[in-house]
Amino acid sequence: MTSAATIESKPTTSTTGEAPGTVVVDAVTKRYGNATAVDGMSLTIEAGEFISLLGPSGCGKTTTLRMIAGFEQPDAGDIRVSGRSVLGVPPYRRDVNTVFQAYALFPHMSVAENVAYGLQQRRTPRSEVRDRVVEALDLVQMRRFADRKPTQLSGGQQQRIALARALVNRPSVLLLDEPLGALDRQLREEMQLELKLLQSRLGITFVFVTHDQGEALSMSDRIAIMRDGRIEQLADADTVYARPASAYVAAFVGQQNFFRGEVAEGGAAVASTHALVRGTAPELAGLANGQAAVRPEFVEIAAARSDASAEVNLARGTLLGVSHLGETMQYLVRLGDDQSLIVRRPTPEAPNLTVGDPVECSWRAESVLLFPADDAASAGGYVAPPTA
Amino acid sequence: MSKRSGAALAIPAWAWLLIFFVAPVAMVIWFSFGYKPGIFGTHANDVLSFDRYAEAMSPTFFATFQNTLWVGIAGTLLCLVVGLPVAYWMAVKASPARRGLLVALVMVPFWTNFLVRTIGWQVILAPEGWLSTTLQQVGLIGGPLDILYTRGAVLLGVVYNYLPLMILPLFVAFDRVGPPLREASKDLGAGKWTTFFRVTLPLARPGVVAGVLLVFIPLMGDYITATVLGGAKGNMVGQLVASQFQTAQNWALGSAMAVLLIIVIMLTVAVGALVVWLVTLPFRSRNRLVIGDAANAAPARPVTTAIAAIRSRPAPADEEVSA
Repeated sequence: MTSAATIESKPTTSTTGEAPGTVVVDAVTKRYGNATAVDGMSLTIEAGEFISLLGPSGCGKTTTLRMIAGFEQPDAGDIRVSGRSVLGVPPYRRDVNTVFQAYALFPHMSVAENVAYGLQQRRTPRSEVRDRVVEALDLVQMRRFADRKPTQLSGGQQQRIALARALVNRPSVLLLDEPLGALDRQLREEMQLELKLLQSRLGITFVFVTHDQGEALSMSDRIAIMRDGRIEQLADADTVYARPASAYVAAFVGQQNFFRGEVAEGGAAVASTHALVRGTAPELAGLANGQAAVRPEFVEIAAARSDASAEVNLARGTLLGVSHLGETMQYLVRLGDDQSLIVRRPTPEAPNLTVGDPVECSWRAESVLLFPADDAASAGGYVAPPTA
Repeated sequence: MSKRSGAALAIPAWAWLLIFFVAPVAMVIWFSFGYKPGIFGTHANDVLSFDRYAEAMSPTFFATFQNTLWVGIAGTLLCLVVGLPVAYWMAVKASPARRGLLVALVMVPFWTNFLVRTIGWQVILAPEGWLSTTLQQVGLIGGPLDILYTRGAVLLGVVYNYLPLMILPLFVAFDRVGPPLREASKDLGAGKWTTFFRVTLPLARPGVVAGVLLVFIPLMGDYITATVLGGAKGNMVGQLVASQFQTAQNWALGSAMAVLLIIVIMLTVAVGALVVWLVTLPFRSRNRLVIGDAANAAPARPVTTAIAAIRSRPAPADEEVSA
């Protein structure tokens, strides 16, 4: 028997036919004074699902998590865990456990005592406490640190202890509040893989809050992209990346080059100052203004040819800079005073271009995303913040 | 920074300690072995003896010492019992925006002279004072208020005068624990009381110790509060020491009494610490969990190979060469 076998969600009776481990957020609103943190949000999280709540700070993702955990009470709506409403149920009576952002390990207790804390609250017999603590520490491979104090451990080790401390209680739902935020990049990527493996092995519902789209894309069964207390799109990683529901989602997941202008060609294109950007379907039919988005990785770049004529899905400009990102090369191209373009090519096939030279960038119509102009999400920049 | 320059930086602190703490205490101990040479001399040390200590330990002195210890311990415990919830409320429940104001309010009594505000209580508690007359008019008490010059009045004065010294270190300690650890405790199934006794209070222990010492030690030497509000029942050792130095001009005897007071304070603190340690021992051992040395323990159960594979990083190059 592997140590994972006993740390799994325990069956609980349901009153609404929702399976144990299901989390239903039903039209929930949470206000702080005049500010609305969560605005009539609804979300059904299936049992055993790994779901990420993704969004910038202030989008309401942490508030949502804290309401599921019981640290905040919704002003309106209902939250059900395993089919039962948890409204008014204090955190210590909920069948959920949390991995906190800064781990929140008890500094005056040893690692083993930290992990045992939850079991002791449930009046678990001493001998069983010991076995389950060892088991949970084995699960995160931290057994040899059992008698150390948390302060003697590195950030990554503390993170594992926080995970073991939550999982040892065999919750139906595990809530993770940006647990990887404090780790360095390599450790973070390693933990992402481990978390995903743990989750699929234990079958526990994971609700993962993050502002890092890479984290969300790599681990989640589904991603809920949040904006201003609402869910902008709820879909799997492929869909969110390839078919973002709005310009906001497009800008937040990965990077985008946005072109804004009048709608042309019966709704299939946007005529911006620097290029006529055409998509594959007349998605903007009937609209006056629109915006087109192209990801940096879908743009080709080459030295400008002399016989320059106006073409579709092609923009000319001056190469401002080239930076090496490891597996890709990134080019920054200035199209005009008000617009730049980011291009990313795989390093082996990246063209050798000189900074300051005229270049031309082109892309295929299939990689163009068209959005109405009134979606102001991407306002303020031609491109989403660069990935870490 | 080198070790030597680090030590050099500590010189002012050491000098301060030497001049204002070690030297006076050493002088008091030295004087306590001497005697009073005559009517006009305060002390002489040409003949050394323990006679002053024998002289100090008179029945009157013992009775006073007992009273001092009683007031010191009861007053400190009362301050702790009253101060703990107030400090907890200030640090945990009160809105963070109001905390500065609350700390300032706790400090308000310190703006007035210690003696003046104690005499203020004497005026309030007097049998013919306004509190007494008001209570009689309302009909809450039959006769004049009979509290001044009792131990009750002394304790009231002690709590009033020393409470801020208890609240402030407790407040800082509770504040430093922070909300995330309390939330983690509740998340793991602990209610409010368990969270307080297993997380908040143990982590605030330095503040509790600081508060208890800050109240107990000055209180043992204080005689103003006890004399003003306790009258004849408020005899404190501090008063005896002061009268030997100031009135009787017998510095040798006063020093011996002061040394005895210091010893009693240290003993009381040690005994108090031992009692707390013993009382909490069963609770601490109940929650203790030692897994033991991993090398001697049975090997860990096999974990899923997938996770093991991630964990096993490629060996460093130099190891490959040597192998």
